[in-house]
Amino acid sequence: MTKITLNGREIEVDASKPLIAACEENGVDVPRYCYHPGLSPEGSCRICQVEVSEGGRPPRVVVSCRTPITEGMVVNTETPEAHETRRQCLEFLLKNHPLDCPICDKAGECTLQDYSFAEGQTEGKTEEPRRKLEKRMDLGDVIVLDQERCILCTRCVRYQEEVTKKPELTNAGLASNTYITTFGERPLTGNYQGNLADICPVGALTLKQFRFQARVWNLEKESSICGECSRGCSISAEVLRRNEVKRIRPLFDADVNKWWMCDTGRFAFEHFNDAERLTGGLVASGDNLLVTTTKDALARAAEVLGTGGKAAVVGSAWLSQEEAAALAALAGALGTKAVFVSPEANELKDDLLHTGDPAPNRRGLEELGLKAVSAADAAAAVAGAELAVLAGERVLAGLADENLGTAKLVTFDTGPCLAAGVEVCLPAPFHIEKVGTWLNVDGLERNLTVARKAPAGVEPLDRSLNTLHAALAGAGAQA
Amino acid sequence: MAIVKRKELSIGEKLYLPAIFRGLSMTFRQMFKKRVTRQYPEEPLPVNEVTRGQPRLAVNDDGTIRCVSCGLCEAACPAYAITIDGQETDRFIEREPERFDIDMLRCILCGFCEEACPKDAILMSDELELADFSREALIYDVERLKRPVSQLRPRLDYVYKVNERW
Repeated sequence: MTKITLNGREIEVDASKPLIAACEENGVDVPRYCYHPGLSPEGSCRICQVEVSEGGRPPRVVVSCRTPITEGMVVNTETPEAHETRRQCLEFLLKNHPLDCPICDKAGECTLQDYSFAEGQTEGKTEEPRRKLEKRMDLGDVIVLDQERCILCTRCVRYQEEVTKKPELTNAGLASNTYITTFGERPLTGNYQGNLADICPVGALTLKQFRFQARVWNLEKESSICGECSRGCSISAEVLRRNEVKRIRPLFDADVNKWWMCDTGRFAFEHFNDAERLTGGLVASGDNLLVTTTKDALARAAEVLGTGGKAAVVGSAWLSQEEAAALAALAGALGTKAVFVSPEANELKDDLLHTGDPAPNRRGLEELGLKAVSAADAAAAVAGAELAVLAGERVLAGLADENLGTAKLVTFDTGPCLAAGVEVCLPAPFHIEKVGTWLNVDGLERNLTVARKAPAGVEPLDRSLNTLHAALAGAGAQA
Repeated sequence: MAIVKRKELSIGEKLYLPAIFRGLSMTFRQMFKKRVTRQYPEEPLPVNEVTRGQPRLAVNDDGTIRCVSCGLCEAACPAYAITIDGQETDRFIEREPERFDIDMLRCILCGFCEEACPKDAILMSDELELADFSREALIYDVERLKRPVSQLRPRLDYVYKVNERW
């Protein structure tokens, strides 16, 4: 550890990191565009300049992202000289930046906006026209590039070189005619393009899918866990008007996903906004399903399961530990063992994050003693029984192509069940709507939190299963 | 109990007639003066560019809407009357509203939306009347809010004139 003085405060910092990281760790916010903690420092934007004095020499203004920390360094981030240098840098960065903010998707989370506002210069001094470049350059399925908005921080270029190890973007041209483009204007490839839109400090690289979908200040951002593979990346689910998930972005998690996430997880949220959402109970009556309250449907489910007979209990791979324990207990009461439908491995496995296993809580469920079975085996078990409980997000989707026979079905899923033998359909929350625990592929606990409130009538699944279990036990005690 | 003693009236007062004639003279004098009563729906209220009526969206002469659905009026609206969703266009201005709803029952005609708008797209028109049979019918969508910019020009010029003073 090295001793430095930061804004008059004596602190001990790790000298292996750049000065800007030390400032950030000690609660001093230094503006930055090109510096990103996950990428190598570049020093191209010059906005992070601070005043530094070493060895008693007079202070000078240096870029804090490329300045190594030395013993006894005196750093001052707020002197008039530092502010003036940063303001001048900003003026140059804004020289060719179009006044697109009302249209730009980055507006509201754009650091160029924030620092311009902080430094307070409202008008430019140049009279020359701004650069004219490509406004809507299509970079494949994920990203749209607006070259005019780019401030040439080269975060995207370094991200591709250092994180995905697949350089596809580059800065072409010289000096004031530099612009960002792809090699040969070919589209970007790979499963990690979405991160480019996150790391871009301005609105140059934006997501095609999110383009003009919402203003970012209208989105409520809550943390959750991605459910698309067994890695369990930390995500922020961003919800518009309290119902529609508009965007999913990675949250920094040092142990799992760092700053990144894959496009598979990023764009897998359409099903959260499904209009076919079950928000109450459905009870079979003859050939029809009648809408009822969750409570009445639970009572009916207890009646159905109380009739006795050979039972099968099938969960989904999206069950949390708490729900799986409740399901296992219910299975015990029905005289069987709970299993879970294990989705088949896909071909998305890579070296970075995606594990290729779409079951987010496989490890946790197996530790709880639930056996992983294929969809066909699960369907065979259901078909061979008289009663069956199917519980969890996507359990019905997993069994959609299978023949479930004539067993009386009690289902807990986000949507209704339309199979032949269905007796009771009960609603279940999506994983972004519940509190619980998953164990990821490395055995790390991933804590699910409520990123979006479940609609009224959707009870937590573990509570529903416990209620059902208690009702069955009560009926057994009376008989 | 208090006893109120009535005032003794004079002959002239007992006759009533002088007082009646005095009152009628007032009546007849008013008949020949200019009327101040306005026959409201038939005779509309006077409006000018200072009138802060209901907000309307300006449409350019080429038929394109000025609004780029940036959402600043939505954010500025103290009554949460505005709801906007954007969409992409093929025009040079890449964005336009897909949905632009103003709940006129919520709108308090404060003019903050006009002040927030960076594109001079939403302006307080001189339209003041608002009546219908249901609440839903008073949530105006983009088609009902569109007005040619020529119609809103006096207000636009006035807003620029006022802003110059600041």
